[in-house]
Amino acid sequence: MLLVRAIIRPEKVGTVLSELLSAGFPAVTKMDVFGRGKQKGVKVGEIFYDEIPKEMLLMVVDDKDKDDVVRIVMKYARTGENGNFGDGRIFVSPVEEAYTISTKTKGL
Amino acid sequence: MKEVMAIVRQNKVNATKDALAEAGAPAFTCRKVLGRGKKLIDMTLLRSIVDSGEIPATATGEYLSETQRLISKRVFTLIVEDDKVDDVVKTIIDVNSTGNPGDGKIFILPISESYRVRNGESTTEAY
Repeated sequence: MLLVRAIIRPEKVGTVLSELLSAGFPAVTKMDVFGRGKQKGVKVGEIFYDEIPKEMLLMVVDDKDKDDVVRIVMKYARTGENGNFGDGRIFVSPVEEAYTISTKTKGL
Repeated sequence: MKEVMAIVRQNKVNATKDALAEAGAPAFTCRKVLGRGKKLIDMTLLRSIVDSGEIPATATGEYLSETQRLISKRVFTLIVEDDKVDDVVKTIIDVNSTGNPGDGKIFILPISESYRVRNGESTTEAY
């Protein structure tokens, strides 16, 4: 199992969530986050913004589904043809165990 | 060291907190999150109430039922020693299970290092 953490633009969340749903990945957790990237934030006029609001999507998926999920997020979270700075990042980390509380069972 | 990430119902936060303290894992971080699970929300119940005219179908209600809904949850993040993981998982499951879908999920992730900011202590003593 793998945890896919995707930090994306807030305005792209709706599209990404509905595309994930139609691709058969309904389970998602979303949280509001603030951060900056390699470009050190954005400069608008004289003001430098380095706490840019983003949304973080957390998905725990089977190893074989990881590529699909990453591909979908990558495709729909992107702005424009070639993408822009600030479109976000995706991190994948291992998950050792998963439990469902309602059924008390192990596994996804 | 392991990270235990538990997504639970909002109204179970206090009970979970107390149970964890009793189980000897008092340190945790809790966050408000929105999410959805494998099972989608069954809106037929609500639909019948709206259709029967019990509550007026406002524009907001219509909008809510048209888009995907994310349910408000709390996510607990605990960093615990390897031998405590089973205890913590059992405690969380016991406190939070109502037997209904939507009780939540628990994920266990590996943590390779941890540091205490106060004095720079590393790994095992600073979890």
